[in-house]
Amino acid sequence: MSVVFAKRSAKDLIVGKIPFLIALAVLTLLPLLNVGGFWLDVLTKVNLFLLVTLAIDLYSGTTYYLNLGVSFTFGFAGYSLALLNVYYGIPTEYSMLLAIPISIFFSLAILLPSLKIRGVYFAILSLLVPIIFVGIVTAQPFSLYLGGEGGLRFKQLFLDFARSLPPGVRLTFLQYSYYYISLAAAVVGYVIAYKIGFSDFGFMLRAVGQDEELAEGTGINTLKVKVIGFLISSAYASVAGALYASMRPPVTVDLVVPANTLIPPLTSVIVGGLGTLIGPAIANYLLLLTYELLWGLIGRWRVIAYMLLLIIIITIKPQGIVFKAYVEARKFLRGVFSE
Amino acid sequence: MSEILGCEKVTKKFGGLTALNEVSLSVVKGEIFGIIGPNGSGKTTLLNVIAGLIRLDEGRILLDGRDITKLKPHERVKLGIARMFQGMRVFPYLPVYLNVELVARSIYGDVRLARARTSWALTMSGLLPEAGELPIRLTPYKLRMLEFARILVSNPKIALLDEPFAGLTPDEAEAMIGLIRKFNSLGVTFVIVEHKLRYLMRIANRVAVLNQGVKIAEGRPEDVVRNPQVIEVYLGVS
Repeated sequence: MSVVFAKRSAKDLIVGKIPFLIALAVLTLLPLLNVGGFWLDVLTKVNLFLLVTLAIDLYSGTTYYLNLGVSFTFGFAGYSLALLNVYYGIPTEYSMLLAIPISIFFSLAILLPSLKIRGVYFAILSLLVPIIFVGIVTAQPFSLYLGGEGGLRFKQLFLDFARSLPPGVRLTFLQYSYYYISLAAAVVGYVIAYKIGFSDFGFMLRAVGQDEELAEGTGINTLKVKVIGFLISSAYASVAGALYASMRPPVTVDLVVPANTLIPPLTSVIVGGLGTLIGPAIANYLLLLTYELLWGLIGRWRVIAYMLLLIIIITIKPQGIVFKAYVEARKFLRGVFSE
Repeated sequence: MSEILGCEKVTKKFGGLTALNEVSLSVVKGEIFGIIGPNGSGKTTLLNVIAGLIRLDEGRILLDGRDITKLKPHERVKLGIARMFQGMRVFPYLPVYLNVELVARSIYGDVRLARARTSWALTMSGLLPEAGELPIRLTPYKLRMLEFARILVSNPKIALLDEPFAGLTPDEAEAMIGLIRKFNSLGVTFVIVEHKLRYLMRIANRVAVLNQGVKIAEGRPEDVVRNPQVIEVYLGVS
């Protein structure tokens, strides 16, 4: 019995949590090192993209139902926020909270029927949804209400409060508050994702991915598992989208375009290691920060260099490299602690 | 003796191919019921239809007199139908104990009960030492035992086994026979599809023979093997 359900030892727990605690300490203290407004903005974006990365990894990384519609969910949350604010006068703080369930509901309503379709067909179908949404936003008469390509303008989060502050600290206040909100969302999101991913429900998602017919045939209600998994994934993308939009008005189609809000987290999941959560989480920070660093080094060539780097990594190690590196690092740490 | 599983005029077509043509069976509580037939005769399709993995076109499936034709596979598992698949199918990237525990969690809901049942099933199938391993490290026999543990953990009324002796050595097949007999004596009814007749005929109480989707014979093993139609199907002579 003890062999089967053995609790992790105290040493395992310490070794397991050390990298997480170090990363948390670095990210918490980073703004105090005066990293500058640009990097605070970048890190805020990376923190929020972690939620999208987790949304993909929690669902697609475990069930292998590749949901390419997360950029729709992300963008729809942003547009819901803007519409509530612009047309109904609801303050951004409350619009943001309302936008999350609205986006989850519409994502489920639109993408849920496609869950009966398997494999590449589901991926293609889910990719069509954000593309159609981009078409709707930019086409009349919808563009008149949704702002067209120029987007919808609204008061960004905490702007009214910031205006009550002395002019010299307004921008700093907004940047710091956004950063710490995004960091809190990233940390809470990761902890919850980890709990879900390695719970019995998380393992049921993995069972569906490994052999759906076997899972159904041995008693798992696969449709229910997929629907709940999809709902959780949509919740992550919706929270990320609503927070992101609230901090960066105006809301434009850039939020929905898969190249902007799908490809970066998707590559993090692949390079990080499907279904491992920690791998994609680390890859999210490594890849997105590398992309920004390349701007300073090679300017506009960064897109080509970055994509070539991704192609090389994915070609050599299609199963991901970050998680494996993380496992090796943990082995090393365990060795250090046992000495 | 009362019927536990009934198939009434079950018909299943795949396009122009009739995989099962008005097949009727009545499995009695507590028996070991064998289904034999040449390749492509519809044996596995029949098990899939009983388990609910394939929807039938016509006919009914009854469990303890209740019509379960429209129930989903996981609902049938909860009612007591467990299934062992052809070709040793497991969740390859989940440890042995999770392969079993997930089934228990789906059926019982309660974590403690699920874990207790899992430990019991792993002990019964001799897999407790390998509980933390991935299935890829198991021998073919141990993989079969893992499938057996998955059946046991659901506390089934009836277990559907698809070629349980395939890939096993003679000694391992004997061990499998021992397990089937043991749980049959404890009240589990077995429906077994098998090509290795030397094993099946030793344990089956009754056998049905399928050929091209049609049931051509049914009865005690010693009677069935003397049936001219069965001999013709297997040997091509009558």
